Parts: sequence; structure tokens; C-alpha cells
Amino acid sequence: MNRLCLCFSAFLAPLFLFTQCSHFPSFPAEPVPEVVYALGSRDGFTSPLSVALKPACSALEFTGVSFALTGVHRRQLASLATDPATIKDSYLIAGYAPPGLPEDFARALSERRAQAARQYLIESGVEAVQLQTVGFGFDSAPNAPGANVVVVYHQ
Amino acid sequence: MSALRLSFLLLYFGAVFFPASAATIPAWLKFWKGKDTHSVAKKTPSLTLGAFSGGTGESAKQALMKELNSTRQFKLTNVDPDFTVTANSVGGRVNGRLVNRSGKELLDRTYAAPGLDENLKAFADDLILAVTGKPGLATSRIVFVSDKTGTKQVYLCDSNGQDVQQVTHHSHGCVSPTLSMDGTTIAYTSYASGFPIVQVLDLGQGWERTVTDTPGSSFGASFAPDGERLAVVMSFLGNPEIFVTDLNANSAACISDSTGAPSSPAWHPDGQQIIFADDRGDGPRLYVTEVPKSNKAEAKLIRWRTGYAFCADPEFSPNADSVAFTARIGGELAVVVKGWPTGSSRVIQKSGASHPSWSPDGQYLCYSQNGTLYLHHRTTGHRRVILSGQGQITEPRWMK
Repeated sequence: MNRLCLCFSAFLAPLFLFTQCSHFPSFPAEPVPEVVYALGSRDGFTSPLSVALKPACSALEFTGVSFALTGVHRRQLASLATDPATIKDSYLIAGYAPPGLPEDFARALSERRAQAARQYLIESGVEAVQLQTVGFGFDSAPNAPGANVVVVYHQ
Repeated sequence: MSALRLSFLLLYFGAVFFPASAATIPAWLKFWKGKDTHSVAKKTPSLTLGAFSGGTGESAKQALMKELNSTRQFKLTNVDPDFTVTANSVGGRVNGRLVNRSGKELLDRTYAAPGLDENLKAFADDLILAVTGKPGLATSRIVFVSDKTGTKQVYLCDSNGQDVQQVTHHSHGCVSPTLSMDGTTIAYTSYASGFPIVQVLDLGQGWERTVTDTPGSSFGASFAPDGERLAVVMSFLGNPEIFVTDLNANSAACISDSTGAPSSPAWHPDGQQIIFADDRGDGPRLYVTEVPKSNKAEAKLIRWRTGYAFCADPEFSPNADSVAFTARIGGELAVVVKGWPTGSSRVIQKSGASHPSWSPDGQYLCYSQNGTLYLHHRTTGHRRVILSGQGQITEPRWMK
């Protein structure tokens, strides 16, 4: 009987402790790639707030608060890096986030997503000086169907 | 043996009926948490308004009584008061005096601003500071963003939501405002050029200057307690990082080491640490970093565990015993206060409440919820709307 009680308590004690935890430790997350290319001068780049700009490819749609590029995003961006007609062009990569997030976090998240897209384009062969980023959060509406997007504007 | 069985049963029912939450830990388990200093009842100092002489003396007395009553810092009585206030007021100018029970003079000051109301608010704040040692709220200001003109612009109001003034009129809008400690300067993110840059506006003199106009984005400005430095997020290096800029020297030093998306830096009242949110791929969490005193000095960076997986907009209370922040609970934003550096968490308001900011005396929090600006008493939990119908109000920040 004593042994049974001990086994029972060995099972219940961790259960009790877990239920008193306000959060559980997360599993080791996939390491986030660092953005290593500094931005060049912004001279000559135009904001979509000032004039209507044409997107260079379809908008990269994100889910949740992720800023990691998916295979779909890479395929969308690859066309800009491989087309000889456009590889010398300049692009403004603008991140947007949906309402409902804390405002400042939305700006950081949208900028980080734009930087991730820029990093991939540089690694794919586009010159770093041809690429600028901006994160609008939800301070302005994107020129795209969704609000959780990165739009690559042709300059 | 039966006692042992009973204890297991109690353990089991405790686990089932007290689910996981920092706020629902049984009281008997909180023996290590320390005492909540805010729950200790303090005697309210009593005060009487004595003779108010001069042409506008009587109206000054009535207005000051109304102002002091609204602060709830004093018990106004003529029976054996702890403190006595007298004043002379002519043409809106006020000369005020405060003496204690033994007749010792604690305050004697002349207030010569153009309006009587303005002078009395300053006098009321000085009375509160002299008696309680904490700053009053009558002259304090709250800065916020509203879209009522169609674009997001920066506005100011007082702690009652009155005296609303539009501060910026930039094309494409201004966001993410913050006030300096003395309330004379505002820093904000401006989209005037089409790109987010951080600017500083001197409210007294009206001049405006650009602090950061770097490639990428600049936002999240926060004044250091000394008013001479600004913490700001910039992304010109690639990864967005937190920088501290010296407003006099126009220099900047990176103090974070992020591969993610850092945001909303806020200073510790001692000016030596900064708390900020950083999303390193699994949602925004709170981190605290030391501000190095020199370029070569090492700085500690720690993750501050709050018990919530999504935290943003942190702000230290004026006495640094707590941090208020926005958390996401059940898919909705909520305002939470947690003891610093350790202590329990308390959900202040759910249902979309966000961006909390402390009052200068640490007794209140202001936050926005569904486009409305609320004031929330820290101890009593009483809350009230102080501003609504001004478009969508967001990002309130109280002067410290």
C-alpha cells in the first residue's frame, strides 16, 4: 500500500507543479538567420507613401508573427534575381503588419521581414546597393490584398 | 495512512481547481514573494486652505480646493490639519505658502504664468511634492497618437484628458511619440519624407530637428531620465537593433545583439538599463540590457521571464518596483504589471488593452483600448475613460 501511495505521489507531484507553471519551456527553436548586409544610401529611392509604386512581384504573404522566409517566398523572389532584364533594377522592399499587434512591435516585425527578403535577394545575386527596406507596421496600408505582407516595389 | 491518502487527494484537487496562472497561485505558496508595498494603507495627510487674499484670492481658493480634491492626495479639513496653505492672488498671479503643524514653512513660491488655472495646477503639484514627496499630476501631460484627421498624428492632453492639442501636422503622419521627463520635448517617428525617421520637437520653442534619418526604419524612441540620450530602434546595419543616441553629440551606440525584431525600448529610472521586446523567432519576449558607460565596457543582456509568451511595450514604474507591458492572452492584447525584478504578475485589463504607461507618481496607468484612452488606478483597480471620440487613440505615453 505504501509503495502504491509513493508511486501515486511521484505521478501527481510533477502534474501539480506543471499546472502551477504559467508557461511551459519552449522546444529549441530553429536558429534565426542573421541579416548581415548593411543598407546603403537611401538617395534616389521613393516611398510608396509619396507616389504610387508598382510591385515587382506578387506580395509575400506571412502568417502570424513569423519573419522567416518560406519556400513560396523564395520562389516569388527568385524571379527578380534570375531575370536578366530586371537584375540591375533597384527595389524598395516594404514590410507591413496587420492591425491587432502592438504598434512598435508591428514596425519591427515588418522591417525584419523586409530585411529577410533583402538578404535572400542579395544571396541570389542582386547587388546590395539596389535594395532598400522599410517597415511600415500598420501605419499605412499596403499596395497588396493582404495586410501581413512584404511588397517589393520597383523603383 | 489515511492522512497520507487525504493529502494526495488534496494535492489532486488543488491541481485541478487551481489551473496554471501566475495570478492564481494559492496564497500559501507565495511565502517567498515578498510584501506588496502598495497594499499597505497609509494615513492620508490632512490639509486646510487658510486665508487667500488679493483680487482673485477667493476664486483661486475655490479652484485650488477643487484641484486638490480631484487628486485624492489630501484630506481637506479645518479640524487639526497637518498642513495649512495660504496664498495671495492678484490678476491670476499666485503667491502660495505651505506650513506644517508646527508652523515650519515648507513652500513659498510665486506662480506668474499668464492664466490662474495654469498657476494653480503648478501650485497643486508643488503642494503634493512637498507633502508626499511624489510628483503631482495636474501639470503632467500624456502624449498619444490619433487618426482623427485621417492620418496618424501626435497629440497632447493633460491627465484628465482635457486641453487636447495636436502637436504634429506632417504629411503621411507621425507615430510612436514619447515625452522627455520634464515634458518640454517630444520625440516621435515621422513619415514626412515617406520613410520613418525619428525627430525631436521642443514644445517651448517650437523647433524641430531630425535625430535619425538612416536607411531602413527608425522608431520606438524613448528619452533617458537625463533627457540627453534617446534609445531608438534602427535597422541600417541590417538586423534592427536598439541604439542609444547622445542628443548633444549626435553619436549613437548599439546596445542590443539581436537576430530578430527588437522594439519598444524603455529606460530604467536609474538610466543604466533598458528593457525592450525582442522577437527572436518565437514571438516577442522581454529583455533587459545594461547601458555601457563607455564604448569598451561590457554590458549584460538578460531575458526577463514574465510568464507570457508574447510581450511588448514594457515600461518601468517610476520607483522601478514593477514593469507594465502588453501581453497577448487568449488571442487578445492585455495590460499586465509584474514586479521587478521578481514578483507576481497581475492582469490589469484584458480585451484589447495595450501600450500601458505609468503616471509620474506611479499610482496610475494609462493605456488605450479600442481607440479610447483609459486611466487605471494601480491599487484600487478603478478605471475611467479620460479621452474618447478623438479617432483611434493609440500609443499613449505619460510624462515622467
